[in-house]
Amino acid sequence: MVSVASTELDPENAAEWPAPPGRTALASRDLADGFGRVWMWSALAFQDTRLRYRGSMLGPFWLTISTLVMVIAMGVIYAQLFNQEPSTYLPFLTIGLIVWQLLNGMITEGCDTFLREASTIQQVPIPFSIHAYRNVCRNFIVLAHNVVIVPFGLAIFSIPIGWSVLAIIPGLLMIAINGVWISILLGMISTRFRDVPPIVASFLQVLFFLTPIIWPPELLGHWHPVATFNPLFAAVDVVRAPLLGVPTAPGSWIMLVCVTVAGSGITFAAFARFRSRIAYWI
Amino acid sequence: MTASLRLRDIAVEFPIYSGGSRSLKKVLFNRTTQGNLARDAHDRITVLALSEITLDIEHGDRLAIIGANGAGKSTLLKVLAGIYEPTRGQLYASGKISALLTASVGLNPDATGRENIITRGMFMDVHPRDMRPRIDEIAEFTELGYYIDMPVRTYSAGMMIRLCFAVATSVRPQILLMDEWIAAGDAAFLNKARQRMEDFLASTSILVLASHSVPLLKEWCNRAILLDHGRILAMGSVDEVGAAYERSFA
Repeated sequence: MVSVASTELDPENAAEWPAPPGRTALASRDLADGFGRVWMWSALAFQDTRLRYRGSMLGPFWLTISTLVMVIAMGVIYAQLFNQEPSTYLPFLTIGLIVWQLLNGMITEGCDTFLREASTIQQVPIPFSIHAYRNVCRNFIVLAHNVVIVPFGLAIFSIPIGWSVLAIIPGLLMIAINGVWISILLGMISTRFRDVPPIVASFLQVLFFLTPIIWPPELLGHWHPVATFNPLFAAVDVVRAPLLGVPTAPGSWIMLVCVTVAGSGITFAAFARFRSRIAYWI
Repeated sequence: MTASLRLRDIAVEFPIYSGGSRSLKKVLFNRTTQGNLARDAHDRITVLALSEITLDIEHGDRLAIIGANGAGKSTLLKVLAGIYEPTRGQLYASGKISALLTASVGLNPDATGRENIITRGMFMDVHPRDMRPRIDEIAEFTELGYYIDMPVRTYSAGMMIRLCFAVATSVRPQILLMDEWIAAGDAAFLNKARQRMEDFLASTSILVLASHSVPLLKEWCNRAILLDHGRILAMGSVDEVGAAYERSFA
């Protein structure tokens, strides 16, 4: 759709009409218009969350409880297995798992960004990016429910909470930006190639064990860099380290910034090229 | 601002993806082996759904799109709505567009009627705060009664149509695009819908209605085009074009 006022165009003289905007302009406009409709994607994300837990008494706090149960069960076993001090291991595990759930949710649901909205996309011309922002927002709502555990955990194990905690804000912001490009890119690929969502899901399963979430990276000894050279570790680390009051691993921020820049760039190019095809692929 | 739609030489081609080209594994595999298999994934069959569509729709037009099933009526509506970007040609539009394309219109089956009204409103770019005051009026028109607070999956097909119609006509777009499903309601609903449509059209600048029912189109429209296999075969008054359509299978 072109924003030139068509009434100003002379029907007899189509050759002199201004050229329609190019793909890049349309893609940027889609991203900006979508982002501008904060009220729309946030309301949709809240509605998604509400509907998912409709009829259950605790609502989204089931997530919190299941995370809590998982942390306690795993914490006890793995603290023994890895020979860790529970008072440092449990907070490490809790925060790691919560951040992992955020990443995991954004990536797996990112595959579904456009597919789950197939009927909407076929009905109304709203910016495609709305669906991506909605996806990221929904997963941050889940995070907000899970995060309730963290202050208790930190208090129980008397980890001091200081202003340094605010350092998680840029980390979460970076995760959100990455969530947007992942939702758009995986959303487009999955719409075109329907076998991608299960492939992504099984890769994530493997990555969960390869990423230092249930095991501290120090356990690898001099293999340590193998574990930390991992964008998912970087994303977990920039949130986990400030909360635990330890410095982030040296490469984490560099890794995260590189992934954000590269991912956003690739996604923008792909989005500009294939945006108009999404409605046809659905 | 008056509304208008200008289409120049528009074509829409649909790729038909068979099982194989829907699979990333197969496409990648074929790339690397080249040879015969490659053709499988790239020899996509495309369907030319619309071609050489040149059309000007002006303020005051009540345009009928007549055509048999598969003539491209719905595709043309989707192009006008901005859902399908044409593969060739140019489309210039001004005016706020609302489209009533299929009956299911993305209703969320688990959400209540009330919630769906808000969601549908959002997709039409209406803020929930502006949509809420209209719920009572919509509930009254649809005669949903207490069903308005029930999940939509408990609705009958007719109730869903009433809900969608009421929501779509509760905002006043300048351009309204409608597919013929609207005729699927029962007689009582059609009478009510007609009344509402008349009020609605008084404030609408352009109506585009697609159908293969010539009597329905005669009632609502003042211009018509005949589509066949994605091309415009005739353009003119509803009577002329309707007659041409009826001749085409006589």
